[in-house]
Amino acid sequence: MTARLVAQNVRKDFGGVQALRGVSLTVDEGSVVGLIGPNGSGKTTLLNLLAGAEKPTSGTIELNGRRTDGLPINRVVGLGIAKTYQIPRPFLAMTVRENVAVAAMYGAFHRKAGEARDDAGRLLSIVGMDRQAETVAAELTVQQLELARAIATGARILLLDEVFAGLSGDELARSINLVSKIQKELGFGVLVVEHVMRAVLTLSGHVVVIVEGRTIAEGAPQEVVHDPAVIEAYLGTEVARAPT
Amino acid sequence: MRFPTFGPTLYGLALVMVVLGVATPFLPIIVKVQLINFLLFVGLAYALNFMTGLTGYVSFGHAVFMGIGAYALGSGIDRLGFPPLLGVILGAGLGAAFAVGIGLVTLRFRGVYFAITTLVVFLAAKNIVPEISELGGGSGIFMNLGFQPLAEFYTIWTIVVLEIGLTYWVTHGRLGYGLRAIKSDEDAAKTVGVNASRLKLILFGISGMFAGATGAVYAWTLSAVLPDTGFDITYSLRMLAMIIIGGAGTLLGPFLGAVIVYVPYNYFQTVQSLLGLQLAVIGALVLLIALFIPTGIVGTVRRYVPTLRRYVE
Repeated sequence: MTARLVAQNVRKDFGGVQALRGVSLTVDEGSVVGLIGPNGSGKTTLLNLLAGAEKPTSGTIELNGRRTDGLPINRVVGLGIAKTYQIPRPFLAMTVRENVAVAAMYGAFHRKAGEARDDAGRLLSIVGMDRQAETVAAELTVQQLELARAIATGARILLLDEVFAGLSGDELARSINLVSKIQKELGFGVLVVEHVMRAVLTLSGHVVVIVEGRTIAEGAPQEVVHDPAVIEAYLGTEVARAPT
Repeated sequence: MRFPTFGPTLYGLALVMVVLGVATPFLPIIVKVQLINFLLFVGLAYALNFMTGLTGYVSFGHAVFMGIGAYALGSGIDRLGFPPLLGVILGAGLGAAFAVGIGLVTLRFRGVYFAITTLVVFLAAKNIVPEISELGGGSGIFMNLGFQPLAEFYTIWTIVVLEIGLTYWVTHGRLGYGLRAIKSDEDAAKTVGVNASRLKLILFGISGMFAGATGAVYAWTLSAVLPDTGFDITYSLRMLAMIIIGGAGTLLGPFLGAVIVYVPYNYFQTVQSLLGLQLAVIGALVLLIALFIPTGIVGTVRRYVPTLRRYVE
């Protein structure tokens, strides 16, 4: 069975602030959904709700028909949804390999310590960090490690929070290729929350645009980019010229 | 030379414990008493190391679990006619039970807030227990056990052996990875699937169990349980001092810390002019360690002397 993550009419209030006012989206295993919107539109909040880091005020989140909203994040990970942090949060006192091994031990796979270290080695070579495997994580903060850790949990749905932030030029191109390659080879369902338009348009088959906690447009990347409402609310002229 | 299975630190500690276990019956009585007192320090250091060392949660309340162990032994012997060993087992059980019960509430707090709640628990226990007449009220429980140095010695010796073994087992398996992740970044640990609440509660329970058992043996050596000595905050501080000095969360650190803290304690009490100064000396030492080598002796050696990293853990 392929995994399917469905959020329906999800709302989230923080005190009097309505961060999300009823957003729905679906992420299927094997597909990439882009989530875009201006700063403060509720993207990261939605991602945190989907990952189980916070509870929605109302609405439902289901993985394969099973409710996950309200479960603690470590249980949600065990069911197969993993997120990355926008600002990498490696376990500083551990080596890169150990960082990934923890995820393999405690995620959906429940690997034994020895097997987990082997898994970690394989994953690190996939994300191109095999040479840094024995480096203490405090000495580097990179998104590849976040990515490897999320994959190591055994999740089938990955929620990537601005993994391309701060990258440009060749670095950006390499990272986009890496995520694209991993997604295709391993068949994950991926939700990319992103500011970097080039990344979203290259990777996603479907794009959801939220502004002030509401979905204002969704569809194929090209349609969304040319949607007048989207251009007005958020994209502006710069992205109308963006490479595709 | 290769140590394929357990590693030199565990072999070294095992050797020390075996030597102590074999030699003690033949040593003069004064040395026996000192070794019992020393192993009580070691037992307390490893007990706190399970919680504060391995999860990073600082507890000022461990003297409470000691006190619970002491009162369990006292009540078991005085009321139920238990032999001392059974009293120690009861102390361990109640220490674990209270730790889990208290932990269910206090472990909802993190960092300094958790530390404060443990202090509150300590103050509450210190004030409540002397009011309970079933526990001897303000005058405590006198057991009249006589002097049983070898039985006391082998009981605390067994407790320490179990602690060292369990510390090794916990730090070398799956559990150890999860705990290091929690200590490093609890939220990120949950994000990769670590059930942080459960692991912390298990460790707090183990920690309370050993503090309870050690507290029971301590009461046994005094043949009495007194509210003042049963709930003495300096025991909490001494436990913290030992693991900070030796290296929190390490296998060897609590043992080293116990040696370093025990020596001034023992020596200063025999010299009239130094009497009472041990707390000042240990306090100053903890300050210096915290300022200059916050990972303690073992952590610092591992960091700066890579060749020893394989031998010291």
